[in-house]
Amino acid sequence: MDLEFSDEQRGWHDAAVDFARHHLCNDVIAADRDEAFDRAAWKAAAEFGVLAMPVPKAMGGLGLPITDVIAVMEGLGYGAKDQGLLFSINAHLWTNTMPLVQWGTPDQRERWLPGLLDGSKVGANGASEPDSGSDVFAMRTRARRDGDHYVLDGTKMFVTNAPVADVIVAYATIDPKLGAMGVTGFIVDAHAKGVTISKRIEKLGLRTSPMAEVVFDGVRVPVIDRLGREGRGVGVFESSMEWERGCILANCLGVMRRQLERCLDHARQRRQFGQSIGKFQSVANKLVDMRLRLDTCRPLVYRIGRLKEAGRDCTVEAALAKLHVSDCYVKNGLDAIQVFGGYGYMKEYELERDLRDAVGSTLYSGTSEIQRNLVARGLGL
Amino acid sequence: MTPTPDAIEYELRRYLLAEFLPGESPANLRDDTPLRTGGILDSVATLKVVSFVEQSFGIEVEAHEAGVEHFDRIVDIAALVRRKRGR
Ligand SMILES: Cc1cc2nc3c(=O)[nH]c(=O)nc-3n(C[C@H](O)[C@H](O)[C@H](O)COP(=O)(O)OP(=O)(O)OC[C@H]3O[C@@H](n4cnc5c(N)ncnc54)[C@H](O)[C@@H]3O)c2cc1C
Repeated sequence: MDLEFSDEQRGWHDAAVDFARHHLCNDVIAADRDEAFDRAAWKAAAEFGVLAMPVPKAMGGLGLPITDVIAVMEGLGYGAKDQGLLFSINAHLWTNTMPLVQWGTPDQRERWLPGLLDGSKVGANGASEPDSGSDVFAMRTRARRDGDHYVLDGTKMFVTNAPVADVIVAYATIDPKLGAMGVTGFIVDAHAKGVTISKRIEKLGLRTSPMAEVVFDGVRVPVIDRLGREGRGVGVFESSMEWERGCILANCLGVMRRQLERCLDHARQRRQFGQSIGKFQSVANKLVDMRLRLDTCRPLVYRIGRLKEAGRDCTVEAALAKLHVSDCYVKNGLDAIQVFGGYGYMKEYELERDLRDAVGSTLYSGTSEIQRNLVARGLGL
Repeated sequence: MTPTPDAIEYELRRYLLAEFLPGESPANLRDDTPLRTGGILDSVATLKVVSFVEQSFGIEVEAHEAGVEHFDRIVDIAALVRRKRGR
């Protein structure tokens, strides 16, 4: 598969690296410690256009082909230290904006998309619950019809962006007895009466991306803000997961390339026992593995772009990409620290944060075990 | 083209075998084989069947119609299709 960038993609990629170096590297050690969300950087990212890139022009977006968006994301990952902010951007794009693009009515798109595209609104996704994570469709949050409204009651867990969110694409069941067939999608105004952040959640990594538990207590959602048909929330959710699984790790390609370059520099310059440490085969092997991981991850992620552009289903391919890239991302984080020795372990060198940021990738958008289940099902097992 | 009654069962059987029972002998899927209660379809898989039925037979299935009552056996699904098409 040809992974050379077109001139257009190279332009976007390099612009993204440049943008990220200038706007997404602001004292990230402190921001990570304090779990600070960088609102100015969010706005700058919106001005750069990233929130509008995959959205069709007819809906006010930039209408970039998905492979170009992936090239941008790779560039942002390479240039940015603030991977938490990029994670927030990804959650906003793939699990909030894109479901609206794909399933929203013209009226919903008109009312909700402008703010999501220009960055004045932050989007979130409320699917997981305290008792239903991998088994997400066993959700308990109820949606009861009351005239021209639904009334939502329940608790959503691990909601990325919740503390700063304005719009939540949330899922609730109209009747738990219906199982997956009761699950229905809704566009919830995060400032509506009855929506509360019950608990901010502190994380190991991606700490600049705020997360919280959200309680819906008698939240009245107009019927016109139901997303998709009643009982068809699974389709909405699955399509958003396909987007997220396929594209969220594009940033990691950039991080992995940066790690490799830093480790190569270090392995050449750091001398022990009278020679550069890169001359020790066991150190060199780590760099070889890092290169191999990067080279096997990139085609998997760019393949999603091509499949999406061709309008093809990519359930299995997205699961494969998510599974392999997240595994490689964590291994790269560990190897980078090892190559840097004790320095790699220290905050100042900003490699330990990469590792902490990486661990979540084997969990969010479905754990690695669930990705394997999806692939196995795709293989007819 | 409007499918004949038998064609509904035939299309359903073909789809179910290809999608959920690859490699299975067609003889093992009868029109009264339990799909939901027999563990062939979970509720997410049933939703796929619902979408297939809607697209293939031009009907709309409401959430409350997609339960075991209408989607446990090929005969039940075909009966629902016929009833809806007859309207
Ligand atoms: C950084 C981060 C951000 C997140 N953001 C959001 C968000 O914005 N919105 C949202 O709704 N959710 C979000 N989540 C939640 C995430 O989707 C869930 O954590 C994930 O789906 C797993 O659910 P769980 O944590 O309840 O684990 P469980 O489902 O309880 O799983 C526990 C363990 O059992 C394994 N397991 C479970 N079922 C199976 C099975 N069938 N086969 C094999 N193994 C199995 C799992 O793989 C895991 O190892 C986020 C999570 C993280 C870490």
